Amino acid sequence: MKISGSYTIKAARDAVFSRLTDPQAIANCLPGVENLNQVAPDQYEMAMTVAIGPVKGTFTGKVQLSDINPPESYRMAIEGQGKPGFARGNGSVVLRAIDDGTTEILYEGDVELGGPFAGVAQRMLGGVAKRMIEQFFSCIERQMGAGA
Amino acid sequence: MAVTKLFGAAVKRREDPRLITGRGNFTDHVRLPGTLVMAIKRSPHAHARIVRIDTSKARAMRGVVAVYTGQDLADKLAPVPCAWLIPDSDLKVPPYRAVAVDKVRYVGDAVAVVVAENRYIAQDAVDAIDVEYEPLPAVVDQEKALEPGAPQLYDEVPNNLAFHWKLHAGDFDAAWNAAEVRLSRRLVNHRLIPTAMEPRGALAAFNPGTGELTIWCTSQNPHVHRLLLSAVTGLPETQIRVIATDVGGGFGSKIPMYAGEMIAAAISKELGRPIKWIETRQENYVATIHGRDHIQYVDIAAKRDGTITAVRVRAYANMGAYLSTAAPGVPTWLFGLMLQGAYAIPVVHCDVYGVLTNTTPTDAYRGAGRPEATYLLERMIDILARELGMDPTEIRRKNFIPKDKFPYTTPTGLQYDSGDYEATLDRALELVDYRTLRQQQAELRQRGRYIGIGFSTYVEVCGLAPSQAAGAMGFQGGLWESATVRVHPTGKVTVFTGSNPHGQGEETTFAQLVADELGVPFEDVEIVHGDTEMVPFGMGTYGSRSTAVGGAALVHACRKVKEKAQRIAAHLLEVSPEDLAFENGRFFVKGAPDRGMTFQEVALQAYLAWKLPRDIEPGLEATHFFDPVNNTFPFGCHICVVEVDPETGKVDFLEYVAVDDVGNVINPMIVDGQVHGGIAQGLAQAVYEFAAYDQNGQLLTASLMDYAIPKASMLPAFTVDRTVTPTPVNPMGVKGAGETGTIASTPAVVNAVIDALAPFGIEHIDMPLTPERIWRAVRERSA
Repeated sequence: MKISGSYTIKAARDAVFSRLTDPQAIANCLPGVENLNQVAPDQYEMAMTVAIGPVKGTFTGKVQLSDINPPESYRMAIEGQGKPGFARGNGSVVLRAIDDGTTEILYEGDVELGGPFAGVAQRMLGGVAKRMIEQFFSCIERQMGAGA
Repeated sequence: MAVTKLFGAAVKRREDPRLITGRGNFTDHVRLPGTLVMAIKRSPHAHARIVRIDTSKARAMRGVVAVYTGQDLADKLAPVPCAWLIPDSDLKVPPYRAVAVDKVRYVGDAVAVVVAENRYIAQDAVDAIDVEYEPLPAVVDQEKALEPGAPQLYDEVPNNLAFHWKLHAGDFDAAWNAAEVRLSRRLVNHRLIPTAMEPRGALAAFNPGTGELTIWCTSQNPHVHRLLLSAVTGLPETQIRVIATDVGGGFGSKIPMYAGEMIAAAISKELGRPIKWIETRQENYVATIHGRDHIQYVDIAAKRDGTITAVRVRAYANMGAYLSTAAPGVPTWLFGLMLQGAYAIPVVHCDVYGVLTNTTPTDAYRGAGRPEATYLLERMIDILARELGMDPTEIRRKNFIPKDKFPYTTPTGLQYDSGDYEATLDRALELVDYRTLRQQQAELRQRGRYIGIGFSTYVEVCGLAPSQAAGAMGFQGGLWESATVRVHPTGKVTVFTGSNPHGQGEETTFAQLVADELGVPFEDVEIVHGDTEMVPFGMGTYGSRSTAVGGAALVHACRKVKEKAQRIAAHLLEVSPEDLAFENGRFFVKGAPDRGMTFQEVALQAYLAWKLPRDIEPGLEATHFFDPVNNTFPFGCHICVVEVDPETGKVDFLEYVAVDDVGNVINPMIVDGQVHGGIAQGLAQAVYEFAAYDQNGQLLTASLMDYAIPKASMLPAFTVDRTVTPTPVNPMGVKGAGETGTIASTPAVVNAVIDALAPFGIEHIDMPLTPERIWRAVRERSA
């Protein structure tokens, strides 16, 4: 399933970029993350609890950042397995400086679910993923003290 | 036919009080001490190599008794069998392991099995098994699976093509070249999921002391399951007892031999303890067979006056990842043989490609092959009618096989037993007041309202038989049925039928037959089914054959019993048997009605055996194995009236009329019920139900939230009526009523919606006709 959108943060592009690629910030802001450990440069292991509709479960898996091009763009791949099946995601994030204190984040990606998770959750995935991404960015924004 | 009072009476179903008050005896109700619970770990991938399975965590859990992988079970179980080996089709049956070894091929394929003290532990242990997969590209669409470069499921099945089956009758090219009108279309008969109320399950209990395996399971054919279980476990048939007392719906999905039941049997044998396995609803969606999934390319040749001169079909059947038990026969014989429908079409050409894909295996689902043929033909005849500017009823009349042509031999060699197709059409038109309806339709269109009238004048083959034909078609079994009628010394009767019902009401209809034949009270007749230790070998229930074949076996057995009783009565009354008459359960001397004996008195004498002639054995019972000379061919006309809102795409059902001819009717209330249920299923295919896979092979509709089983509020009221054209094939003149509704209704509904949309120039929309699809079609045309 394709997911895309944008989010605007009141902060400078350099600062937003370094925060978005900071594992601690990811661990703190991605909803449901239970732990995140770096295992290699730009590669992390993660445990995360996700609920979509009636299906809830903990996924363990990997996060891999690639094509890191500060402060403009990077790619991110996530894969996880858990009781309700598996999830795989793959996407790109592009940061655009609107002015010195405003950055627009453009994201697009492809998410694939497998197993029982897919059988009941797929049609709700779009909405849930969008909400999770917005929660993530708004948390980053709050942490940067740039929010309202 | 016995002319008595119960044949034709709307006797209430005697099984219902038990079933609707929770006192049924379903598989999960059976409790045995010491039972272990089994759960199956299933693949979340549609296609993947199994790199490693780590069961150590699961094995270490408290309460877990054993964990098995495919490798562990490989030498304990033969592959899941395929038992319809269609000839002359280059059929390839790749091995179907009960638990996958090396590779998984669909979401739901079994990868490991846990046996534990209870269900909670078993499920937790399943979750604790760690399987590492190497995902492979998957293919779900049967046409794409045939393309060069498509992912290959098996090394030994090139291009994923399991078979290419042909049935050619007549010279199609000549008919095509001579045709005044030629139509070619692509139609999709999409995938459905049977969704029986009771999921599958098994309780397998192997007794190490006796070496016997008893297995309670959800089965439409317990003896066939016993035979197949014997083949896969290596236990002799004499050591296996299959019991399926109450079965909560099947619609074909409880015919096949499945991995789950086989594994439970093998593990019970291994551990010497009872093993229970009950599917969850989600498992049912992926691990029990699916139905239909047929892509059809149709060519129709006709004259300008509407006479159809030839039909040619090239169909691609999605078989799923493995060939299920009866699967190869469904999209081939059960489809191709019915492509002329109710019409005198002289040329029929059919080519079917059976394709393996990374999806749940498909097999027989209510109607099985015949809905695919009927939908195709009834849809195309409407498209042809519009092309020629003819009324859909007129073009049907033009092509009907006339009633004086029965028995009618079709170009592909079936013999239609009896029929009067115009009579059902006439009656249905009368019931809807067709002329007025068309006027209303025209008036409403002026006001921007769109109603549509859809027809389906179907004929179907049911009462599947005879055995000789089954053999010629490659079906690895006979198509006869058995019955034993045992009269007890009190005159009470127990009937053992090989036809195991899964909800159709046989305990009532069969008792009606026996009460009539033997002149005993209905209450005195007990019907026993579903236990291989009690019932003689039977072929089971499917293809609307229970009454036409199983009921006929029963009537023949009753007549053997009655003949013997008459001889005993004659001896005791000191007359010859032909001097006796039989009425209301009493034998009496013709012309001297005072001299007689009741059936019950004769039964007692048969068991006392004090005064029997030397050539008559004591006791009173008979068995009959009935192998009919032919199938039966029910037919009818269904009319659906809808209103479509082009702004929203929503379909409202205004009226639904079904006039069926199923021959003589034993219990009209039960037939009405089967017709209602059948229409609900067929209508649901037309507008609601759809098994959707994403391109990676994930089933997106794997729950009752996502798969649109209709609720009562989503269905119209049905007007059901009948004409009666008895069949000569069995002594009761009955045809078969279990599938008519499903077969007939789908095209009637689609034809109605398309008729409503005619002002928009819409000629066809593939099913299901959801509001979105209709809305899009209207928008495209209006743009």
